[in-house]
Formats: sequence, C-alpha cells, structure tokens
Amino acid sequence: MIDLRFDRVSKRYLIPHEAENHGSSHPWMRKLRSLWRTPREFWAVREVSFEVKRGEALGIIGHNGAGKSTILKLLASITAPSAGEITINGRAAALIEVGSGFHPELTGRENVYLSGSILGMPRNEIGQKIESIIDFAEIREFIDIPVKRYSSGMYVRLGFAIAAHLEPEILLLDEVLAVGDMAFQRKCLDRVRALRQAGRTIVFISHDLNAVEALCDRVLLMQRGEVIADGPPGEVIGQYKALSTKGTTSPFSGIGPVREWRDLDVRGDRVVRLRRVRVCGEDGATMSAVDIRHPVGIEIT
Amino acid sequence: MPPDTSIVYTPRSEASQSIRVIRPASLSLTDLAGHVQSLTRHAGLIYTLSEHRIRVRYKQSMLGVTWAIVQPVALMAMYTMIFSFVAHIQTNGIPYPIFVFTGLVPWTYFSTALTAGTSALVSHSNLITKVYFPREILPLTYVIVGLFDFLIASSLLAGLILISRVPVNANILYVLPVIAIMTMFVIAMVLILSATQVRFRDVGLGMPLLLQIWMFATPIVYPLSAVAKLPRPLGWLYRVNPMVGMIENFRRTVLQGMAPDFAILCAPMVVTTVLLPVAYLYFKRVESTAADVI
Repeated sequence: MIDLRFDRVSKRYLIPHEAENHGSSHPWMRKLRSLWRTPREFWAVREVSFEVKRGEALGIIGHNGAGKSTILKLLASITAPSAGEITINGRAAALIEVGSGFHPELTGRENVYLSGSILGMPRNEIGQKIESIIDFAEIREFIDIPVKRYSSGMYVRLGFAIAAHLEPEILLLDEVLAVGDMAFQRKCLDRVRALRQAGRTIVFISHDLNAVEALCDRVLLMQRGEVIADGPPGEVIGQYKALSTKGTTSPFSGIGPVREWRDLDVRGDRVVRLRRVRVCGEDGATMSAVDIRHPVGIEIT
Repeated sequence: MPPDTSIVYTPRSEASQSIRVIRPASLSLTDLAGHVQSLTRHAGLIYTLSEHRIRVRYKQSMLGVTWAIVQPVALMAMYTMIFSFVAHIQTNGIPYPIFVFTGLVPWTYFSTALTAGTSALVSHSNLITKVYFPREILPLTYVIVGLFDFLIASSLLAGLILISRVPVNANILYVLPVIAIMTMFVIAMVLILSATQVRFRDVGLGMPLLLQIWMFATPIVYPLSAVAKLPRPLGWLYRVNPMVGMIENFRRTVLQGMAPDFAILCAPMVVTTVLLPVAYLYFKRVESTAADVI
C-alpha cells in the first residue's frame, strides 16, 4: 500500500524584483514598476516523482538548497505545489520545529493544549495524554509556570514530548532531532524507532548521515530540485559523499585518504624519503571519511 | 536519562485509509464545500485558539475582562461631552450617553475584530511556515474574541437600558439576525484583508485611518435622520456602506423597540452574501502560497 505519492511535482518560488535604483526616478515609481515586472522564477523542486510504501522510512539527503525542506513543506501542506499531484493516505504530522505554537505567557500545561491542537491532536486526546507528556518532558515541577520562564532545554523537551505523543500515521521530520543534549537526542531517536516498529510511515530529512543510515530503509538524494539517486541508505549516502568531495574547491580537492609517491618525483633526500601518507582508523584500515567520535591515525611512511 | 517505556504506539491497521490529494491551487466554487468541511474538522483548534487569545489578553493585565468595556465606555464619555455640550445632536428624546453607547458597542466589536483579524496571518508567520491547519482559523479566532467582548459590553448595555427605563419589547430579538449578518460581514472583511496583508503590509498600516473614517460614515455618534439631506453622490455612497444598516437597525430594535428597517438592511445582506464566498475563495487562493511570501 502506498502512503505518499509525488507525481511529477514541481514547486516554483517567485522572487520579486527589488526596487532597483535607476538613477533619478522617485522611490515610489520604482516600487510601482517592481509590481508590474514579472518576478524571477526559482524552481525549488522540479518534476519530482516518488512513492513511499506504508511502514517505510524514507530519508532525504542533499546539500543546502537542494529542495529537501520544500518537499517536506509540500507533504505537510504548508505550501501548495505549482504543478503535479501529491497523494497522501493517512493522518500526517510534520515536525519542522519543536515547540511550534508555544505562547510565552501561557503555562506549560496550557501550551500542551495549544500546541497539541495546532499539531492536530483532538482535545480529549490531549486530556488523556497530558500526564504522560509531562513525564516524558521531565518538567513536572514547572508545568504550571509560563513557558517564558523555561530554560531552552525545558522548552525543547516539552515541545518534543508533545510531538512524540502525536501518533501520526505518517511522520514528517525535518532536522528537529538536532536539538537538545545527546541523551535527549537519543531519546528522540528511540521514539522515532518505536513509531517505525509500529508500522508508521516516516519521512526524515537530515544532514546527520549516521542518523539517516540508522533509521531509514530507503534514501533519496536531491540536487538542485531533482532526485538524482534513490535506493538503499548505504549506497545513496556513498554517492552523496562522493558528490560532496567532488564539488569542493578546497586546496585538498582530488586528494583521497591515501597518497603515494613513486621513486622519481619523491620529496626528500637520501636520508629521509616520503613514500606514502595515509589516514586510518583504530583498526589500521584506510578511511575515506573521518568520524570525529572515533580515534583517527595518520600514517607517514 | 533512563530509557522510557511510557508511550506504546499501537500498530497501524492495514485497512485505515483517508486519501488526500494536493494539487496546485485553483479557484472554483466547488472547492468551497471541501474547505468548509475541513474547517469543521478543526473545530477543536478554533475553540482552543480563541480561548487562548482571551486568556493571554488578560493574563498580565490588572483589569482583566473589564478591558472589554473600557473602550466603549471611554468613547461614550468623550462623545457625550462633545455632542451634548459642544455640538447639540437631536436623538429623539433618548439620553445621549445611551444613544451613543448603543452604537459604540456593535461598532467596537466590528472595529476590534477587523483590526486584530487583519494582522492575524502576518502576526503568526512563525506558525504559518511550520505547521499546517486551515489558515482562516487565525482571523476567525479574532472575530470570536471580538464577539466575546461584545457579549460583555452588551451586558453593560442591558444594565444601562434597565436603569434608564428605556421601554423594551420583543423586537429586541431582531438584534440576533443583525449581529449574525455583521459577524458574516466582518469575517468576509478579515479574510480579504488578512490575505492581502500577507503581500502588502499597507493594509495594516492604513487600518486605523480607514476605521476612523468608516466610523464617522456610520450613524454612531449621530442618528441616521441627521444625514437625510446629504448631497447626491455622498448620499448614495453613504447608503452603500453596509455598516449603516446594521448599526442603525441594532439601535432601532434595542432602543426604540421597532422592527428593523429592511430597506436599509438590504445593502449589508446583499453585500455579505456575495462577499463571503468570494472572500473565502480568495483567502484560500492566497493561503496556498502564503508560507512562501509571508
């Protein structure tokens, strides 16, 4: 069963001409003129088609501005497509920001009702879940004071606790897991995993490739508004990494994890001669990507 | 942090289906029913948001709910001063303070709902770019809050009427349809203005001036009979103003115990019936790209 379908969906943004300074004309005239001029077009998503099966976890990766977030906004109905058709089967909830709809003057408890309703939870359901939400956020002592007095951590925890209780059939996540401390991030990931195990459909957008790899069954790679790869996480993430290193203009471009010199053009003298430089991991194997959480070695021969 | 097992997600049943198709925005009358239907599904959100607005407004104020009557009462005092001492206005034997207050109560409802509702989308840009719900809920809640304030001010009006022994009869029930038309009219107005303000902030900036002119173009501080002899183009313009028929009939039924004057109620009824669906469709049209430009 297909839960989400994108059928040749495009999204165009219109960028209005700024009132340019044409020498002598009056600012009002410039404003008026900019109203008539046809605005510049920017296609954030071009003819994208894909399907997500029920219970599947789809990751979308790509550089900034590749159109990932636009896809999520289209799925969440925040903005309408310019062409094409999106079919959604089920109750979808988008989590683009934690604490959406919080009002600073209201207490934590009132905000649970407010934010919960905005995110689409029926009122009686919030009533049933409120105790569990407070426990999950670990802010029982502060639940009846205005959230403007909350620390940012408490704010985020409450926001996510509400989201974790949404029980959507389709969950859309945009980089929201990148908030809070490590322990809380792990807790959030656990929740997403639990939803997955319950057979919910998930669309996950992130720059955290490890999280994408751990969470998703399938990954889309986007570039300039188009899907350029679609497949199992390992494969697509590999392509993305290749794309990232190719495109850079740093002085190290084109240099892999190993560099060897043949005898003739070698640097050094008769006493010391540089033959090989290599980046390796703990186990001594050559590594093309460095994970900052593990020790890294540089071997010079 | 201990691993928690507080939430257990129930597996999703294979059978559940609720298919929704999103297409590029279109403008058609047939969509209207669908919009209304999806709005009714969000009744809970309308309730919660309106309640929240009322709560927030009074949360950090000393006078609390009394603020709902401060504005019409202060204006009543001011206009009474001007129009019964400085300039004399004939009000057919009704004490001027009550006369003007009866006009100010519905007008305050209209003007506060319009002002707040117009900036409803712009002032919630953070929500609009992050969460989806039918956007018309935002301006609607301001109309509901205005209606709430109107009820409070009306109870004061009722008290004044009792104290000053203005005779009241069954015709007073006609205020209900009058207020209903007015509510529909203000909803249509806030839908149009709030949507337009997404692109042109001028709407919000011009609002105070517009309301001031509009107020004096409506029989609030003077009776309708005072403008019977307006010169031609002005008199015609005056009658097109839908607020004339509503305010005048509100006063007629409440203070004079007469049935409404349907001749002048025609303009607001026609305007509202035509404007409301058009306004809603226009709003929905703007809504589809509001998140991109707001």
